[in-house]
Amino acid sequence: MMRGDTSPLRMNLQVLRHSGAVLGHSTLSRLIGLSSGLLRASTLQLMPVEHAIHATGLTKRYGDFTAVDGIDFSVARGESFGLLGPNGAGKSTTMRMIAATSSRSAGTISVAGLDPEKNGPEVRAKLGVIPQQDNLDEELSVRENIIMYGRYFGLPRRWLNTKTEELLEFAQLSHKATARVEDLSGGMKRRLTIARALVNEPEILLLDEPTTGLDPQARHVLWDRLFRLRELGTTLVLTTHHMDEAEQLCERLIVVDQGRIMAEGSPSALISEHSTREVLELRFGMDRNQEQAEQLTALLSSASVGFSHVEVLPDRLLVYASSAESALERIHSVGMQPITSLVRRSSLEDVFLRLTGRTLVD
Amino acid sequence: MTDQRTAERSTETPTSPASDKQVLAHSVRRFGALHQAERVLRGMRAYGGVILFSSVSQPIMYILAMGLGLGVLVGDGGDFAQYGASSYLMYIGPAILASTVAMAAGIEFTFPVMEGFKWRRLYYSAQASPLSPGQIASGHILAICVRFAVHALVFTLVLYLFGVITSPLGLLQVVTATLGGLAIGLPIMAYVSTLRDEKGQMSLIQRFVIMPLFLFSGTFYPLTNLPGFLQVIGWFSPIWHANELGRILAFAQPTPAWMILVHLGYLIGMTTVAWLVTVRIFTRRLGLEEWRGRTPGAKADARRQERLAAKDASVVVGSDAVASKTAGSSTQQDRAALPRIAFRSGFGANYYSGNIRAVFGRGLTAIRNNRGVIFLSGLLEPVLFLTSFGLGISPMIAGLDAEQVGAGDGGTISYAAFIAPALLAVSAMNGAIFDSTWNVFFKLKITKLYRTMMSTSLGPVDVAVGEICLALFRGGIYALGFLGVLSIAGLVDPLAAVLMWVAALFIALGFASVGMAVTSFMSRFQQMDWMMMVLIPMFLFSATLFPISVYPAGVQVLIQALPLWHGVELMRDIAFWDFGTLTLVHLSYYLVMIAIGLSVTTYRMKQLFLR
Repeated sequence: MMRGDTSPLRMNLQVLRHSGAVLGHSTLSRLIGLSSGLLRASTLQLMPVEHAIHATGLTKRYGDFTAVDGIDFSVARGESFGLLGPNGAGKSTTMRMIAATSSRSAGTISVAGLDPEKNGPEVRAKLGVIPQQDNLDEELSVRENIIMYGRYFGLPRRWLNTKTEELLEFAQLSHKATARVEDLSGGMKRRLTIARALVNEPEILLLDEPTTGLDPQARHVLWDRLFRLRELGTTLVLTTHHMDEAEQLCERLIVVDQGRIMAEGSPSALISEHSTREVLELRFGMDRNQEQAEQLTALLSSASVGFSHVEVLPDRLLVYASSAESALERIHSVGMQPITSLVRRSSLEDVFLRLTGRTLVD
Repeated sequence: MTDQRTAERSTETPTSPASDKQVLAHSVRRFGALHQAERVLRGMRAYGGVILFSSVSQPIMYILAMGLGLGVLVGDGGDFAQYGASSYLMYIGPAILASTVAMAAGIEFTFPVMEGFKWRRLYYSAQASPLSPGQIASGHILAICVRFAVHALVFTLVLYLFGVITSPLGLLQVVTATLGGLAIGLPIMAYVSTLRDEKGQMSLIQRFVIMPLFLFSGTFYPLTNLPGFLQVIGWFSPIWHANELGRILAFAQPTPAWMILVHLGYLIGMTTVAWLVTVRIFTRRLGLEEWRGRTPGAKADARRQERLAAKDASVVVGSDAVASKTAGSSTQQDRAALPRIAFRSGFGANYYSGNIRAVFGRGLTAIRNNRGVIFLSGLLEPVLFLTSFGLGISPMIAGLDAEQVGAGDGGTISYAAFIAPALLAVSAMNGAIFDSTWNVFFKLKITKLYRTMMSTSLGPVDVAVGEICLALFRGGIYALGFLGVLSIAGLVDPLAAVLMWVAALFIALGFASVGMAVTSFMSRFQQMDWMMMVLIPMFLFSATLFPISVYPAGVQVLIQALPLWHGVELMRDIAFWDFGTLTLVHLSYYLVMIAIGLSVTTYRMKQLFLR
């Protein structure tokens, strides 16, 4: 696997910067319709960092069940912020409270300086919402979907005609403008949903599991589009249970489980704080994992491989050590013979496992 | 069913019944259709309550409304002794049985088949088992036969209970009615099973096939009452043949022997041919051929898309031209600047953002994208009803005493003129209810359109009012068409027609707001069926086809509480230009309905989407 110092994230960023330069920054910013004033403010840091979203003690109860249990977080303008957690952790509920489509049971939240519960339509006017499942209007064509969505914001039709062409180009759907929504592929539908959410030039974009259910190629196209938005200073808030997605897209994230925040920080900080640099994955065959784990702990604790601990999963063992290659050599040297072995870099998956004792996607 | 059980048991080995594949395959070859039938019947249990309830309540409703209500009006006008029946009720009883089975066929042979091939792909899971495609088709048909037979049996027993049938031969109607249902349903099933995609064909079948075949099948009057060219429809209608057979069995309607053979031959022939064709189509689609079915209107869609593309191209060129013109006079930034987004602050800002137009506009675009014939077919229903009842019942009724029906000054009015305003009110109700219940339920639960709308700056009031406006738009066009027909037929005068159009919108608004409020509480499709259970009796009892005076005083009060009665009477007041204090009562009844409906709808929308 990747063992070099250049992370895929960084490489991708460089590619993007390059393509951004080719297109020209001003063209791009016009595409997204971001006001130049905001760009200048965020790049020159003239103003103090203003919160796009600020929540304290945010709580949501449905009867006896507490979906969100008093969480505090804030998102700066222009930041890309992630909520990471397994299904049912309370991510989507939190997103709905931000999007002014759900009331809160306790706590405070301000979105773009406003209370979503008091000023619902006004808050929603500043947001772009991309729900977990594409809810495109199947009775309308691709172009009409964007135009009609813009009309819901009361935007004039003439302005929308031009804007829609720009958005279709951004979503790489210009050639499908008159197609019916049902004729689009999954990735195209997702891009259309995102293009549609951009029609009101939102200050904050909320993405609920943006790439779940897409094939790898479609995911990368989508990430590329989101990267561009991020580069232009749109605030991104996204939920995901895919670690690679969080590592790709989020500058900072909170790990949520059972309605509570387990950890907070940048992906790399979280990894270095809660995990080792590398991981060694070993399979010994069924039923032998637990005893093998004890042996390994005893063996590696004495070795100078930066050993931290061993996690036992139903099908394999995860050995956390800063130098996994040396750990593997050590294991081989004492004659232990794993069926398969794999050395990889530590990921947010490992962070989550460490924090909750559970795997993320089960 | 028991055969299949014993067959399985006898071949059981001590280990597992699935172990001997040879025996399994053999058993399926013989009884496969029964396995499939069992599955379909089990699936029906989910709405078994509705089926049983309607089997019991439908005959009672028709006996009370048509037999007794219309019967009083028909009185001595029709001489039913020549047909062998001693009363009007007795005459229509068997025909109503056959007709309700045929109507059920219109449902059972359309939606479940589409569900099997497309929506839930149930047939494809059966395809993976040893069942043959023909067995899948036959199993489905057998299960529906059982459902028809149960319905017919319950219906017949109720008729016996009320003394509408006395002859023991009447029980055989279970067979003839089921046969009639198959004869009308199987050709429809054969057609539906060729479809790859549903684009409104189901409602077209309902409106252009089942309704005319039902209305011109001599159910409520002898077929000979109709003018010759309409009788032809009856000859082709399996419902007429089933009706006549039912009448022969129930009260020995005098019929020549060769005619009985014609009836039987037509029904059996139709059923056999359509059954074979259906099996053939199922074999093509589910067999090795893997035919994917036709997409109806694919060519029309392609043409439409071309047209749209051409139009879009011109729009884009146009807006580019405009843009470049403005760009010449101002900077690029100005052009791209975001216009103001619609939201309000202050009172009710959370409910209403002053942007109903957007919701309405979206609906118009959706209607434009669908095929026009589906939209316009809604116009057909009241016209068909008027033709059937106006022409068919009139010969049995000399004319209505104007005093009796409360239509002003003396004299008589024709039966057609009497029911025309009522049918307008009914069609306004039906259109509004359809739009505000089925369509709203669909957008609420299936496509989740409202959720999308509520994630923008729209408020619940914008959505609710926009949707209701859309229902009114559709209702307004239907009413306009029907009033046009009435004016040409000389049944209303132009001034009254204008007022009646306004009244139709008013009635539609009342039903649309209440319908939407009720729908917002629904969570499953089966609950929608119960709503239909309310609408049909309302249509039958609300003095639509006969004056309210035929009822005893106590029942009259009950009917006067129903909203449709007020709508019907309001229409008649206008049509006969006879206004009074009651007119005001009718109007205020609807005002209250509108007020309550709109407030509940808005409240529920907020509950549902801004939790």
